[in-house]
Amino acid sequence: MSVLSVAQALPAGDVSSAATVAPAHIDARNIAVDFLLEGRRQRVLNGINLAVPKGSFVSLIGPSGCGKSTLLKVLAGLITPTEGQVTVDGIPPHEAAKRRVIGLAFQDATLLPWKNALENAAFLLQSADGSLSNADSIAKAAAMLKLVDLDGVERKMPSQLSGGMRQRVAIARALALDPQVLLMDEPFGALDAITREEMCRCLLDIWERTGKTIVLVTHSIDEAIFLSREVHVMGTSPARIIESLPIALPQPRSDDSFSEPTFKAAEKRLRALLFESKRGPA
Amino acid sequence: MSEIMATGTSITGDIRSARSGRPVPDAILALGLMVVVTVAWELAIRLFHVPTFVLPAPSAIVRQLIESRARLASAAMSTAVEIFLGFMLASLTGVVIALVVVRFERFGRALYPLIVLFQNVPKVALAPIFILWFGFDLAPKIVLIVVIAFFPVTIDMLAGLQSVEPSFVALMESVGASRGKILMRVRIPHSLPYLMAGLKVAITFSVIGAIVGEFAGANQGLGYVIEFASTQLDTPLIFAALVVVSVLGLAFYYLVELAERVLVPWAPKFDMHRRVA
Repeated sequence: MSVLSVAQALPAGDVSSAATVAPAHIDARNIAVDFLLEGRRQRVLNGINLAVPKGSFVSLIGPSGCGKSTLLKVLAGLITPTEGQVTVDGIPPHEAAKRRVIGLAFQDATLLPWKNALENAAFLLQSADGSLSNADSIAKAAAMLKLVDLDGVERKMPSQLSGGMRQRVAIARALALDPQVLLMDEPFGALDAITREEMCRCLLDIWERTGKTIVLVTHSIDEAIFLSREVHVMGTSPARIIESLPIALPQPRSDDSFSEPTFKAAEKRLRALLFESKRGPA
Repeated sequence: MSEIMATGTSITGDIRSARSGRPVPDAILALGLMVVVTVAWELAIRLFHVPTFVLPAPSAIVRQLIESRARLASAAMSTAVEIFLGFMLASLTGVVIALVVVRFERFGRALYPLIVLFQNVPKVALAPIFILWFGFDLAPKIVLIVVIAFFPVTIDMLAGLQSVEPSFVALMESVGASRGKILMRVRIPHSLPYLMAGLKVAITFSVIGAIVGEFAGANQGLGYVIEFASTQLDTPLIFAALVVVSVLGLAFYYLVELAERVLVPWAPKFDMHRRVA
């Protein structure tokens, strides 16, 4: 954790403007992203400001094509923004990813079909720059499979696992890097409703146990409210954050959370915002 | 090309069903069909008194097979050696070209159209030139097999190397894995099922290459036997040699498929065989 304290001390010393408030763990300022589509520049993200405190759980929600996946890729360092600055743990995200500060999970588990669950969970850690010894990687992966409730299936091949189990392996693969930040792009999007709920609980459990900073891109209002401390609602044309809604549900969250008045109120507000944003530019 | 399509679309459809509940095995059906066709052939020859030098009856072919078994066996042996060596070299060439195209991207983009252009040259027409260049021995046959059979290997291997999930590549890159590492640890293993599909096409092309090579100029091999028998109007011998070629080709094909099952057990099963995991 010594790396962390150094990283946190950096902005305070270097950046005078940021010195007034405690720096966010993930800090995106004035992000704009242009894509070239058929030779024409098109702005897919505009004026995004996002600050995620350390150890928080936030969701990005919005209609299809609103750029939430693009924003997540910017935070992960996979896309360099056209304008604006991003820091994760005080450093540019692609640097942070290399130092294994960032763990990623996508909608598809993208497991390697020729490796079993354990080898898949260890694969990214083994491939990382300056990686651990093989035995250490495997041990780490085994521990993470336990954390996502998959002990006992280590030797199973991906084709023998259910969709939910495959996604758990993918999450374990991200966790094996021991990242401080977990970025997830609709990780449960391809799963059935019952499995989704199970996975939500699993993710909540991971968050409570590890205290990682988690950013979740989702289409599901329920999922966003149940899991998050704050939900950022995105709208289209131009793609932007139209509202950041803090979720003041009591911790720890449980099945009772769904029936809280706070939950109902947040759900109503989100629904209104999403349908408003769908209607186009306000 | 259809091979690539099949691989591409069925890569996720790894459906394995149990063997139970199938009334008649495919093998029995295939054998039954063969018997029906053979009997019909035999009857037609006898009924219409077709001369043997035009089309021999199956019984005449079998008789010829037994009579010339020593000659056919030794011819089959030299053809098999050509097929084996040619196929190995064609596979190696195909794989190397695919790796070069992927690893050295700009050079690959320049090379690729040339390979496709070369593929459109009628290779059979090259056989006499190879005889001229490399003589009557093994060499011209092997070169002919290589130029005929490397193409499906290259194309399928390329499809495999390039079809790795982009998000997974992004994941590898984000943790600092080098391009070489991604190639070795992800792209190449990922491409193996595609490669095997290409090899299955290549082995059948290799058989054709060997026979054509022997047609063009040889003093041994099944192609030579066919060529020689046709000058003698010995049609039963032509057909006997054809039977041996077919059996040889089939054996080689199933050897490649066996290799696939052993080496790439995770390969999607898109042939007609239902395999039990």
